[in-house]
Order: sequence, then structure tokens, then C-alpha cells
Amino acid sequence: MTAPASRTGGLGIRGLVRAPFTLHAWVDLGYAILNVPVAIGGFVVLMSTVWHPMLLFVSTPVARGLGTANRELADRILGERVPAPPPMRPVPHVHVKTPDAGALASLAAAEGGKVKLQLNRLEVTGVPASRIAELAASEGITISELKTHSGWLEAAIRDKPAWRARAYVALKVPVSLLGLAAVGLTWIGGVAGLTSLIWLQEGHPVAHVFRYVAIHLLLMLLGAVALLAAPRLTNAAVAVDRSLIRSLLGPSTLAERVRDLQKSRAHAVDDSAARLRSIERDLHDGAQAQLVGLAMKLGLAKEKLGGSTEGGLTAADLDRAVELVDAAHRGAIEAITELRVLARGIHPPVLDNGLADALATLAARSALPVELVVDIGERPSAAIETIAYFCAAELLANVAKHSGARHATLEAVHVPGLLRVRVTDDGQGGASMDAGGGLRGLADRIRTVDGRMDISSPRGGPTVVTVELPSHA
Amino acid sequence: MKGGQAGMRVVIAEDSAVVRVGLIEILTEHGHEVAAAVGDAEALRAAVDEHRPDLAVVDVRMPPGYTDEGLRAAIAIRRDHPGLGILVFSQYIETRYAADLLGMRSGGGAAGVGYLLKDRVANVREFIDALGRVAAGGTALDPEVVTDLLGASRHAGALASLTAREQDVLGLMAEGRSNSGIAERLVISERAVEKHVSNIFTKLGLPASDADHRRVLAVLAYLRS
Repeated sequence: MTAPASRTGGLGIRGLVRAPFTLHAWVDLGYAILNVPVAIGGFVVLMSTVWHPMLLFVSTPVARGLGTANRELADRILGERVPAPPPMRPVPHVHVKTPDAGALASLAAAEGGKVKLQLNRLEVTGVPASRIAELAASEGITISELKTHSGWLEAAIRDKPAWRARAYVALKVPVSLLGLAAVGLTWIGGVAGLTSLIWLQEGHPVAHVFRYVAIHLLLMLLGAVALLAAPRLTNAAVAVDRSLIRSLLGPSTLAERVRDLQKSRAHAVDDSAARLRSIERDLHDGAQAQLVGLAMKLGLAKEKLGGSTEGGLTAADLDRAVELVDAAHRGAIEAITELRVLARGIHPPVLDNGLADALATLAARSALPVELVVDIGERPSAAIETIAYFCAAELLANVAKHSGARHATLEAVHVPGLLRVRVTDDGQGGASMDAGGGLRGLADRIRTVDGRMDISSPRGGPTVVTVELPSHA
Repeated sequence: MKGGQAGMRVVIAEDSAVVRVGLIEILTEHGHEVAAAVGDAEALRAAVDEHRPDLAVVDVRMPPGYTDEGLRAAIAIRRDHPGLGILVFSQYIETRYAADLLGMRSGGGAAGVGYLLKDRVANVREFIDALGRVAAGGTALDPEVVTDLLGASRHAGALASLTAREQDVLGLMAEGRSNSGIAERLVISERAVEKHVSNIFTKLGLPASDADHRRVLAVLAYLRS
């Protein structure tokens, strides 16, 4: 998400000269120094858990924990955000004895289990025993024996993220040491060269004046070059660590990425089906019923005016008809309102003018005062704009409903590749993914386009919810 | 037969208040008595047990599940109160629902049953007419169901041998209309309708029948066979 390159200052000679004095350079230097004790500490901890195979049970969570710690550190200091690998999943292994082994086998296979079938015995990998018992019960299959292994040990041994974290911890030691050596040499060498006049004194300066000047000039020149190169070298050393973190501590194997995509796709499909269902419900209960009602009224009125009773149109018929048409007219207006509200819920027309206009409308219509900060140059894709809009709408609605805030800020900033929407409020805080489920649903929807959501909401507030979306989905 | 006459006692089950109010208005304007108007299937069954109406008008989709609660209640009521006419109506027509309701799967009779699209209510005359037929033990099938049945029928060849007018008559017959109703609708004489009907029965190889509802059954069974 954050561009790893060229953090050490701008272009040109000015940038080059200023580079050693920028914050980025010092942050990188701090990270490179901190990396050595972190690497050694991690390595020691890891080694204490791998000397015996039985310790794998401990070693796997420890390795994963070290991975998490290193990811967090890179996030906090460098802003290098790498998503966590998926949690460890046990592979349950169940032996079943049942007269209906065949029927149960096909049920278990339908649940995604690997099945081995013998006459009246069945071995299922990948479906928990409780689920198998449930399946059998629902189909009236009797089970005479059921043995199970939870599968944790196997999962612990095979856990790929843990093995990749171990590789990272092991590689981090030489990488951080070499990195610090190179970095230290350039920074110290640079400073030393520039300050050579202070520490390098010769006996007879007058006698050897040329040599004296030449040596100091050379040392200072070398020092200056080293110092100018130091930030870039530091950045490069840190970049090695960054790329190790990205490739070893993230969910980067293709299979995991595929699983992730499958999950978010399944969610997207469910989500859109649920939306369609709720739209259908709204139509059915709302405008459609309204229209049936008003058609009935008009039907009755027509009958009255047609003089259904013998003796033609009476004054009473006419009065009743007027009454009915009046009620139908009111019904029509209500139906129009319902349709408008519903249509806006599906796709707010103002969104066609761009996210900025749509958010301005949203802020203006909000139940509490909303300060709007929008910086969107180039427009993100339509799908992203829509998701961003509904995120903002839902977050503002949450603020109004739950936070007790008196004021909120809505920010939307678009830099190439990334749209960031942030809602801040001065309410009581305590918002979380689980509470209410609204935020959870929002996070799931955001994940379908590879976006992410961060919630910071300590008790007592303030609450800051940040949504980051790729520009194009 | 009290069908078509004023003074029927009706129970309404419809969850949308707007439509419920409209139904009560139409029924009372036409001299019928609404014994109860309820919003879900449970309450419908209780109201039918309590009031013993001549007719129940039931929406298919009602709380709590908003799927086919009304239809299931209607089928149960038909089983428990065989003499009671039931008109089921819905915003969508599902031909399978029609089959369930008419009891064609169990081979039961279709007397006193209607299945209409909700929109038909707007045509007050037709709706009241359908109510009358159902209360009298007849049938009221929505034209859309009939169209589906005709379209899906495996007797396309035999159906194609009917003249256009005969096809119109067949459709109206399947909706459950009487000869006089068909004559009025097509603006022809009852004698002409009778002639068309006998032609249809001959061409399709169906046994002739005088009673309207048995005729409907024969036609529907033929279309679905």
C-alpha cells in the first residue's frame, strides 16, 4: 500500500543534500538499528522451540507470533502494511463405523471432506466429527463407532505461515547484521570524514602543509559522499527487510490468495443476493402494495361513476367516487415517494456527478453537523465510488445512531491507486467490528474489492474509522 | 348456490394494510360481510375456525417467513373445511402453487378454489365475479396460470388443431368461467360457446361434462398430462 521506494527525499541536488536530514532517513536508520536486537531476540526465542520435534506444538504459535510482531513493527515504524496470513486450521480426521457407510461417505464428500470407504468403515479427513454426527442424524444413519483426531498436531506441523515465519526469523539475523554493518559504516564513516580536522592531528603541520591539506580534503570529500549515500543505502537495507516481510509474513502463497478471493467472492455473491432480496421485499411491501391499493380504489370509483346500480349515477355515488379518487391520489403520491427513496437506496443519482458531490449531499442530509474534507482529483472507478459512498453513508448513520457525538468529520482523499474515506466523531467511542454487526458487514463488503477498514475507538472516544479502497476494482 | 350474490361472509388474510383496507372496501361496497381481516397465516386459521365464513381471501406471502405461508394455510384449510371456498392471490404467479392448490397432485377436486394475480383486484367487476364463482364451488384461475399451462402443455399438436376462437374459449374455460361468462366475454351467443366447447372436447378427445367445475378439471388435467 505504501510505496517502498524513494522515501529518502525528493529529486535533484537539493533533495540529495537534504536527504541525510529528513525524517525518513532517521526513521530508516532507527529501524535498521532496532532490527539487530529484534532479529537476534527472535532467533533465540525461535531456537528454544525447535530443538525437539515434540515442541512443534509450541513452536508453531511462537513462530506465528514472531511473524505478527515483525509485521506490526514494520507497520508502526515504516508504514509497511502486510495483511496477516489466515489462522491455523486443524484438519480433523474421523473414523466412523456404520452400516450405511456409503450414504454417509457421499454426505461427507459433499461437505468437502476427503473420504476413504471400506465396507462398513469410513475415514473422513477435513470434516469435524460433530458435523459428521449431525449429518448422520439428519439422514437417520446410525453410527456404531466414531473415533476422531482433532488434527491440531498435523495442522501445527504443516502450518505454512509458521514455516515461512521461521524462515523469516532465520534470514533476518544475517540480513539485519549485514545491513547494519553497511549502514553503520557509511553513516559513521561519513561523519568521521567530515570531522577529520578534529581527530586527525599531525606533528608538523607547517612542514607538511600540502600533505596535510590534501589528506583532510580527501577525507572530507569521502565523508561527504558517504553521508550523502547513507540514506539511500539505509533505505536499501531496510527495503531488503521489507521485501522479506512481504514475501514471508503475508498471506502470499497463491493457494492462500485464491482461498481469500474465494471467500470474498462468496461474500460478494451472498451480499448482492441479499441486497436484491431486500430490494424485492421493499418493492413488494411498499410501492407495489400501494399501487394495488390505489388501483382498487380507482376500480371502485370507476364502478360508481359507471352507474353500477340501476337508476344511473346518484349523488351518493358521485360523492363516494370523489372520495375514492382522492384516496387514490394520496396513495399515488405515497407510492411515488416510496419509489424515490428506494431508487436512491439502490443508486443515488448524485453519484453520477462524482463522489465529491454525493458526499456533500450526504453530509448536508446527515442528522448531525458534518465537516467535509474532500480531495479527489481523478475519479476512481464507478464501483469504488459506490462502495465509498455507501461506506460513508453507513458510517455517518452509525455515528448519528450509536455514538452520541455532536460533530463528525468526513474525509475523502484520492491519491493515485488509493481512495481513503475517513469518518471521525467526538462521541463516546467503543465501536467495534462485532458490535451491531453493521461494521462487520461493511468490512466484508470492502474486502470484496481488496480494500481494508481500520477502527480506532477507545472508550470515551474519539472514534476514527478509516476505509481504504483501491482506485479501480 | 349463493355465488355472485350479496351477503357472503368473508375472512381476509393479507399482511399489507393498504391492500387489506382496499379489499374490505370492495367487499363491503358489494354487500358482503367481512367477518375478519388478519395479517398472517396463524390468525387466518384461527379466524376461519371461529367465524366459519363462506369464503377466505388469502395472500400467498405473509409473515413470518414471507414465502408461501398463506398458500400452505389455504391447503390446510381446504382439508379441514371442505365446503369453504378459498381465493388465493399473490403478486407473482407460480404455476406450481396453482397445482398444489387445485390438489391436482393428490388427485383431489378443484371445487371452490381460486388463484389470482393481485393486480386482478383492480378490475373490481372481474374480481367480484371470481369471488362468486369460488364461493359457489367453482374455479377462478388467473389467465397467466392458464397461459403458462397452455404454453407448457405437451399436447401442442392437438392444441394447434383448435381454431383461434376455440383456443380463446379453451383458455376462458380453464380460468373457470361458465358458458354464459365466456359468451359475455367474447361477445358471442351462448349457443355459439356451446358449439365451440363441444368441438374442443371432440378435438382433444375429452369426455363431455355439463358441470362447470368438472369441465375445468378435465381441461386442466389434460393440459398438465
